[in-house]
Amino acid sequence: MEIVVCVKPVPEAETRLRVATDGTALDPEAVKFVLTGYDESAVEQALLLKESVPGSKVHAISYGPAPRTEEVLRAAIALGCDQATWIDSGAAPATDPVDVARALAAAIRPVPHDLVLLGKQAGDDEEGVVAAALGELLEVPDFGFVVDLRWDAAGSRFKFRRASEAGLESWEAPTPLVVGLQQAWNDPRTAKLPAILKSRKAPIAKVTAAARSAEAARSRSVKFELPAPRTGAKLIEFKTPQEAAEKLVKVLREEAKVFP
Amino acid sequence: MSRRILVIGEPSAGGHLSGASLEAVGAALRLGGGAASVAGFAAGSTAAALAADFARVGVAEVYLTEEPRLDSAPLAGFVRAVATAIAESKPDVVLVGGTTFGRDFTGRCAALWNAAAATGVTEVTESDGGLRFRRPVFGGRATETREVEGGRAVLALRPHAFPLPAEAPVASKPHPIPLPELPPVLLAPHRAGVEAVTTGSGPALGDASIVVSGGRGLRAPEHFHLVEELAASLGAAVGASRAVTDAGWRPTSFQVGQTGRAVSPQLYVAVGISGAIQHIVGMISSRVIVAINSDASAPIFKVADYGLVGDLFQIVPALTSEVKRVRGIA
Repeated sequence: MEIVVCVKPVPEAETRLRVATDGTALDPEAVKFVLTGYDESAVEQALLLKESVPGSKVHAISYGPAPRTEEVLRAAIALGCDQATWIDSGAAPATDPVDVARALAAAIRPVPHDLVLLGKQAGDDEEGVVAAALGELLEVPDFGFVVDLRWDAAGSRFKFRRASEAGLESWEAPTPLVVGLQQAWNDPRTAKLPAILKSRKAPIAKVTAAARSAEAARSRSVKFELPAPRTGAKLIEFKTPQEAAEKLVKVLREEAKVFP
Repeated sequence: MSRRILVIGEPSAGGHLSGASLEAVGAALRLGGGAASVAGFAAGSTAAALAADFARVGVAEVYLTEEPRLDSAPLAGFVRAVATAIAESKPDVVLVGGTTFGRDFTGRCAALWNAAAATGVTEVTESDGGLRFRRPVFGGRATETREVEGGRAVLALRPHAFPLPAEAPVASKPHPIPLPELPPVLLAPHRAGVEAVTTGSGPALGDASIVVSGGRGLRAPEHFHLVEELAASLGAAVGASRAVTDAGWRPTSFQVGQTGRAVSPQLYVAVGISGAIQHIVGMISSRVIVAINSDASAPIFKVADYGLVGDLFQIVPALTSEVKRVRGIA
């Protein structure tokens, strides 16, 4: 099975966020970009499938600027991906998710892809649009919020479950398929040191992103704000549990106005 | 030129327009000071009932694809029907509720329609004839305002961020839309079933306007009923920290946080939760946060609006009684 897994360089969760001087974006200086949870789950799922279906290959693809995009691809190789393609966005990567999907689709179309795996959303912009947009652009069915995915060799189809408002939906689908995965339903492996060292010299194919579509609408960021630091909870003083309960209910009704 | 908006109708379990879809109608009717022209789209076997729900809140024009196959078909089919409705109604904005359905819909529809796309939107405004929207990013640690260039946008709205529309019944004007011919590959996936996820008897976690979550401070699974009773008195959904779901006290479907579900209710009550960053990012966009914890130095008090420092085993039952008293529940 030919599996493509799309990954994105995302600021580490513990990164202290700063606004860039123009006020429209995150300041990328002093930010460490890594492979984050959703993408780790997608890579793990790709590797599990590769291990269960003989003759499979996993191709990691990422869109973005140097050097962070190459770095996350090396992390994917260290985890066990067989090959990697870097779509060079130039210094100002597209931020509209459908533009990103178009760049990915252009790179995926010419390579074999029985299955395209992604995190259900990126850990930074949290859009969750790319997987579904890719499905449309590749003319392949797509499913987001997938919690587990396996290949039923006898029936030549995937079996998977997807979280929805109704509960867990069970689906069956042949190839080709695009899947956006929930995080942490599998327990992603960590790379071993020899693999990390080897990944530093692994070849990464580089393609340049095509010019953005002229007829498509898109959005651009005009303001990026950090919330005023929360000043901390207003602590409610009380002598008895009853007093605590009465004071809290009163303040929720009269001050916060959230009480039914 | 007044803005034209198409609101996508998603059925709820009962076959009526979902709360998230109604909020999208509310957002559409308010945009540009109420000057927008708003139409609806509904599909599947309950399309006619959804059109009636649209009419009840003042949306007369509804594009309808009464095609039962769409009830359980992959979303690609639904999106193709919407594309036909878009060609007829010529909207410049498509709004959808930010459910799992709405979020998967957004990318597919925007790619097909060559539109800008965004999810998790908490505010939509007109700005000099352009359209702007705001959305939290980085787990609520920052907010981005974006502007649409080129006119067309598909926006999925964050649940509970927009008001429900008032009742304003009008006569429904349905426009039937045939289901376009679909490439067979798009209809190949087959839904084998749906299993309901146990989230207790209250509202679903993602939909609830109040969420009460329990953490490690409850000490043992047999104490979790304290959280459930408080939630029941408030009509709230029950959530849990990762410590609780990892320990197997409750299934992972209860988990609020980075690796679980992100919630944004009007009121979030954290009981015995210390406030690890992975939990905080899943609940920080809640409007009002209350923390109950015996440890005054717990990080949860830094993000909470109101705090009760004390023994949850005494405070929570007292709070449940007080809530029942003021709500007149025996």
